[in-house]
Amino acid sequence: MAERELTYGEAVKEAIAEEMRRDPRVFLIGEDVAEAGHPFKTLVGLVQEFGTERVIDTPISEPGYAGIGVGAAMTGMRPVVDVMFGDFITLTMDQMVNQAAKAHYMSGGKIKVPIVFRTTLGATRRSAAQHSQSLHAWVSHVPGLKVALPSGPYEAKGLMKTAIRDDSPVVIFEDKMMYRVKGPVPEGDYTIPFGVAEVKRAGKDVTIVATSSMVPVSLGAAKLLEEVGISAEVIDPRTTWPLDKQALIDSAKKTSRALVVDEGYERYGVTAEIASVIAEGAFYHLDAPVRRMGAMDVPVPFSPVLEDLTVPSEKTVFEAARALCRK
Amino acid sequence: MATNVIMPALELAQETGKLLRWIKAPGDAVRKGEPIAEIETDKVTMELEAPASGILSAVTAREGDVIPVGHTIAQIASAAEAPTRTPAGKAPGGEVSSGGAADARPKASPLARKIAEEHGVDLTRVKTASGKIEKADVLAYVESQRVVATPANGGAGHLVAASPKARRLAAERGIDLRALKGSGPGGAVLVMDLPLVGVPAGTVAAPVTQPTPVTQPASRKGEGGGVGTVWRIMAERMTASWTSAPHFYLVREVNVTRLVAWLATARKQTGAHVTYTDLLVKLVAATLVQHPRVNVSWKDGALERHPDVNVGLAVALEDGLVVPVLHRADTLGLAELVTRREDLVARAQAGKLRPADIQGGVFTISNLGMYGVDAFSAIVNPPQAAILAVGRVTDRVVPLDGQPAVQPTMVLTLSCDHRALDGARGAQFLGALADLIEEPLALLL
Repeated sequence: MAERELTYGEAVKEAIAEEMRRDPRVFLIGEDVAEAGHPFKTLVGLVQEFGTERVIDTPISEPGYAGIGVGAAMTGMRPVVDVMFGDFITLTMDQMVNQAAKAHYMSGGKIKVPIVFRTTLGATRRSAAQHSQSLHAWVSHVPGLKVALPSGPYEAKGLMKTAIRDDSPVVIFEDKMMYRVKGPVPEGDYTIPFGVAEVKRAGKDVTIVATSSMVPVSLGAAKLLEEVGISAEVIDPRTTWPLDKQALIDSAKKTSRALVVDEGYERYGVTAEIASVIAEGAFYHLDAPVRRMGAMDVPVPFSPVLEDLTVPSEKTVFEAARALCRK
Repeated sequence: MATNVIMPALELAQETGKLLRWIKAPGDAVRKGEPIAEIETDKVTMELEAPASGILSAVTAREGDVIPVGHTIAQIASAAEAPTRTPAGKAPGGEVSSGGAADARPKASPLARKIAEEHGVDLTRVKTASGKIEKADVLAYVESQRVVATPANGGAGHLVAASPKARRLAAERGIDLRALKGSGPGGAVLVMDLPLVGVPAGTVAAPVTQPTPVTQPASRKGEGGGVGTVWRIMAERMTASWTSAPHFYLVREVNVTRLVAWLATARKQTGAHVTYTDLLVKLVAATLVQHPRVNVSWKDGALERHPDVNVGLAVALEDGLVVPVLHRADTLGLAELVTRREDLVARAQAGKLRPADIQGGVFTISNLGMYGVDAFSAIVNPPQAAILAVGRVTDRVVPLDGQPAVQPTMVLTLSCDHRALDGARGAQFLGALADLIEEPLALLL
């Protein structure tokens, strides 16, 4: 059978729809998720199939609907809570961090919170400083939360299904710039396990660890590197927690050099954590310091020219990797 | 500890640099920031500054050598480490009486004096070339004394700079890292610097236990086809332009009767040696201001508009072509423009251009009129959108009021990058420029 292609957005919707058909406890809640089909049009058609009891529009109150979701999960439902922009998790933090992430532990295992927060990351959409951040590091920091970062349509469907079936709270960050990107997505049921990194491209001279939006960027950079005789390995952790530390360390040991690329702010970011994992685990195999590249330490500018400068690009990743290889 | 002097990379794409001249000789005392050599990089000559204070030593690069960026070309040893030219027994500052009489107080800035006091430094022992002591001199002295004060037991306890992997492999193979010369940052030993064990032969050059400079013999013009950096860069850039920018050409003959008159007046009024090129720079800049759509580059699939009107001039050198830039030429008066052009051309010919002199150009003028060329088609200077090729000013037969007349004319050829400009826009620009050349008084409007 020929490989079927879906967009990233369609893959997300298919995952949610299939899970809702499979399990009546799964429901969707958030702003503009029903008739509007979500501002990014990722959820169009779901309310028609499942009705307003399972696709629930809420007032503009992120803490409110996040709390409803957490409560529903505690009492046996499996909610998918839609937080339109990743920037808005600042408003849902208490429900995520102090309630969802803690309930299982503090109840001695009596309470489970099988909730999925689906939200977005990614700049370069000209959405300005309050709608362009990639804040996945914030929740990756908290014990009790799992964090998934699908880097393409295949991952968008597989990771969403795993998230919905997981008994722990999961925050899944979709790259808002990738919703229209097409790629092969198998029909029917499949899941992608959490905590298993995928080598997107094998190489021997330098390891590029890339997350989410930075995976295609790094694959592009790897092509440029190939032209100058550098063989780059691109590896996608797919989840920042659980983190497949061993795969990252093994790759860095193989190539002796590592560059970590992530669209979140560079300081105190995902790149710092991963670079530290590699530096500790592969220290005696490294021939260069671990480099990391994230978003600049500035509010994301509205000016397109400036905005594009703040996040890693194929060219800047290429140059950094090339410099690491001293070629 | 010695500090390595490396061939610096001044531009992203630069791979090698040529050592033109050592300003300092081995054994010379140098101060941090002081020029020690002249190096030639992409089209410019730069002074290489000492990365530390001390004695220049272990000089491996010879004048004329072409050296890969990042390679060590010399070391600055601390005063305690290297033999100096100072005759034995004569301590630095020895000519100053050690009596420390008040009238023998060395000249020192107040700040230098304060720092010396804090560190307990006797200023009479700090010697400088100028005789006046500044903050940096005191700090350099303190630093050199600090090194002397450490036990001279062969640097035991001080880790040799090496990557973790190189360190592990060296330990596994029983290799002494101190015997190796590192090619990494600050002379750090990398895996590639280790003597090879179990690596297929021929994959790496000879072992580097001795400081052998990684150089090629200096090329000489006209001998064996070797070319200088300027020529090589010209070849690379022109190939890049010719193979990536789709060119089209617009040709126009303009009547320069008024331009000739203006040149004579301008020379008389300014007293400067004004050239046609100067007038053309002024007119091109004015036309670019009127037609900002030409002041663009094609970059990464989009048009990049340039805020400033920076006009480049193609200047032929003995060994290639450079394009120094008259920045914001639209704001310059004619006299100032001439001064700047003369300065740029003189420094280009002397190989003394700075990176800023050749950067930021948005449009280039290439004039071969002085060689008697009637017209020619130039290659666009990337990433610019267009270049104006200027032919000679000469008398030609032109129609005047229905009759043949003989008047001075000039043929202009505008080469355009079709990704950034189309024929109509290019033609409008050239038309406006031709109108200005034929009636420069329109500048005043």
